[in-house]
Amino acid sequence: MKRDRLAQLRSFWSEFRQVRFGMVGVALLVVFLALVIFERPLLTYRDVNSRWRDMMYWTDSPRYALPVWVNWFTSKDYATSAVIQAQNVQEAEGVRRTTMEFPYEFKAGRPPSDVLLQLALTGQVSLTLDIVRPDGRSVTYQKNTSSSGSQVLRISVDQNLRERVFQMVASAEDPAVAASRNPKQINSVGVLFGKAQPGVFSDPQVLDGTYVLKLDVTLVGATAKLDSAKVIVAGGVSGILGTDAQKRDLWSGLVAGTKWALIIGLLTSIISVVVGVIYGVASGYFGGWIDSLMNRIYEVFVSIPLLPILIVLSAVFKPSIWIMITMMCIFFWVGPVKTVRSIALQLKENAYIEAAQGLGASHRRILFKHMIPQLVPYAFASMALAVPGAITYEASISLIGLGDATVVTWGQILFDAYSSGAVLQGIWWWIVPPGLAIALMGMTFAFIGFAMDTILNPKLRTR
Amino acid sequence: MYWKYAIRRVIYAFIMFAVIVFIFSAIFNSVADRVMRSQIQETVNGESRAWLRQGQQRSQDQFLVWKVQRQAELTRMYHLDEPLMGRIFWRSIDTVTFRLGQSTIIRSAEGSQDVMTIVTERIPRTLLLFGTVTVLDIILGVWLGMRKARKAGGLMDKTTSVGTMIVYGMPAWWLGMLFIMFFAFTMPLFPSGAMHSTPPPEGIGYVLDLVYHMVLPVLTLVFLGFWGTAYITRNIVLGTMQEDFIMSARARGISERRVLFGHTLRASAPPIVTFSVLSLLGAFFGAIIYEGIFSWPGMGSLYWQSVQQNDIPVLMGNLSMTTGLYIAGLAFLDLIYGFLDPRVKVGGKA
Repeated sequence: MKRDRLAQLRSFWSEFRQVRFGMVGVALLVVFLALVIFERPLLTYRDVNSRWRDMMYWTDSPRYALPVWVNWFTSKDYATSAVIQAQNVQEAEGVRRTTMEFPYEFKAGRPPSDVLLQLALTGQVSLTLDIVRPDGRSVTYQKNTSSSGSQVLRISVDQNLRERVFQMVASAEDPAVAASRNPKQINSVGVLFGKAQPGVFSDPQVLDGTYVLKLDVTLVGATAKLDSAKVIVAGGVSGILGTDAQKRDLWSGLVAGTKWALIIGLLTSIISVVVGVIYGVASGYFGGWIDSLMNRIYEVFVSIPLLPILIVLSAVFKPSIWIMITMMCIFFWVGPVKTVRSIALQLKENAYIEAAQGLGASHRRILFKHMIPQLVPYAFASMALAVPGAITYEASISLIGLGDATVVTWGQILFDAYSSGAVLQGIWWWIVPPGLAIALMGMTFAFIGFAMDTILNPKLRTR
Repeated sequence: MYWKYAIRRVIYAFIMFAVIVFIFSAIFNSVADRVMRSQIQETVNGESRAWLRQGQQRSQDQFLVWKVQRQAELTRMYHLDEPLMGRIFWRSIDTVTFRLGQSTIIRSAEGSQDVMTIVTERIPRTLLLFGTVTVLDIILGVWLGMRKARKAGGLMDKTTSVGTMIVYGMPAWWLGMLFIMFFAFTMPLFPSGAMHSTPPPEGIGYVLDLVYHMVLPVLTLVFLGFWGTAYITRNIVLGTMQEDFIMSARARGISERRVLFGHTLRASAPPIVTFSVLSLLGAFFGAIIYEGIFSWPGMGSLYWQSVQQNDIPVLMGNLSMTTGLYIAGLAFLDLIYGFLDPRVKVGGKA
């Protein structure tokens, strides 16, 4: 019996391999599964699953950064984002003075959106920041600060250094033009990374090379100390899929969403198809009043529009992702019932069923040993075809803002994008990838399901 | 005979609606109770403020007695004093007779807070959008499906089948977003949403403006929908072509074209209509929130609004009406089927 089943499976597989789009579907499924299995090494931000909605986690990233690969298609490259750690750290004995350097290799067609120095300090500290450009010009910024506990100090070129950057290159600009510009209204980062020549304020040309940020910290008093220092370059591009309005890395979100899409899709479809097949077979097999009653119940479920009821249930009960899957199962199981029942009505007439009944086999034995095994191929096809629906429904519910906020799903990324006005602002890298992922996942299972379908109904292949 | 069948089908639809409304009332009983109690509280508070403003002729005691009495009166009026089954029962009766209560925030165009008014003013808009899409979908889908069936297994058939699968799991609202981004902002050909320009033009311009606003949403849905219709049509037509009467028609020397469009299409029409409309019904009620993307002021947008403003009465009223429409659609389908397929009329048992 078991070997029989195995041989059946093997012959089914050899038939399946003939259907080209079916194999494409399988290949895509393998890719998605690989994304789930190798999630940890693939994630650029490891804690994305638990801290997706934690603003603090994303502070170092740029906002609305484009995907890195955009640079392959533009003539003027966007600056890449980077976090630079200190080099050449020198601590002088006695006077408690630390100097460190942060070199930034700049080679791009467009300047970054901002450069930030982030320090964690305790006590009374006086610091000097020098930004030395490749052409020798430099900007100096000094600050004395004191606090009783530890504090985080952020010095931004765009916010704190505008006037100094202006002073730095003003000598290179035509004096009349320089006098007419308001230092507070220049594109400070663009000017900092621009060639010192006339027109630097209106149309800065980028100056490639190594920019060195030199930090000189003097600690005053015994309790003062410098805990950490780093320089964050907020570039125009970041990561494989860019970042969103909350500075989140979209690639990490997308990868983290893959497993939820698979869980939602597979769990819902498997449970509901199993229930539906058993229900349909039982209804066809028993016949009579049981069949009528089961038919009535079936019709009640069929007459409820799915998405509206799921929306209202989610709005009223605010379910977790697992409850949501359960809710979907409650309404999805009707899918295969009608077809299964009609197949069961035909199967019931077979002589071996009668023989089994004559031998005194129980109903359960007949249903599960003789009838349902014959429906397994059909069940697998309907499972595959039910997966995209489940994923889309979850995404739709998330899209109106009723998703489970403890997990990251593609639908929720799209909800954030839509509610932040990404469509109006044309932030395509926030909208296209999650939707494309949903569509691709749907396509994967459609390929597999339709391939099984053509094998099961050979007369549909050609005329 | 057909009328008997039709009447029976319609009555059955009403019973089904009543049963489902009863189930809804049971599921959402506690939240409906809560909303209604707070609405009563608000009414009483409002009335007592008006009462106090009229002057202080009556004593404090009288006022309190009045307040308690009024509250009890309203509670009795809305059957909130009854046991659980009673509350569910009366709420079902209210819904079935379309007394959907008052909204908490959302108002209709005229400023009415009656949920029934709010929902019904949106029904024609939803029907207009999705009706247009259905008609276009079936025309395009059946046309493509017939072409596919004619040369089944051919290159055209195979590529369009792959097209069906590619769009199978694509959310309509996502494609809508892309189309808006592209056709309304990058290349401003169409408006990004809404039903009319503000202010709407008069006369024939009104209709043209409406059509102009409908192009993008209709285009998106048709683009996603007609593939499925084509695939269903193809399969049904291919199934019919295996029948003996087709072979005999061919044997009689009737042209292939007439066999396809005369014999096969006529025989396949009932299942094609049923399956395609059924799948479209499912797809549309699955895509109903799609309206929100295009700010199309229909029932789907009302779901967005009522969820965002947490307006439970509108949400529930909208659900009941959507369900009613859905059941009406299913009944309508059966009636068409019975009309197209003479076998249904005779026995009444399919």
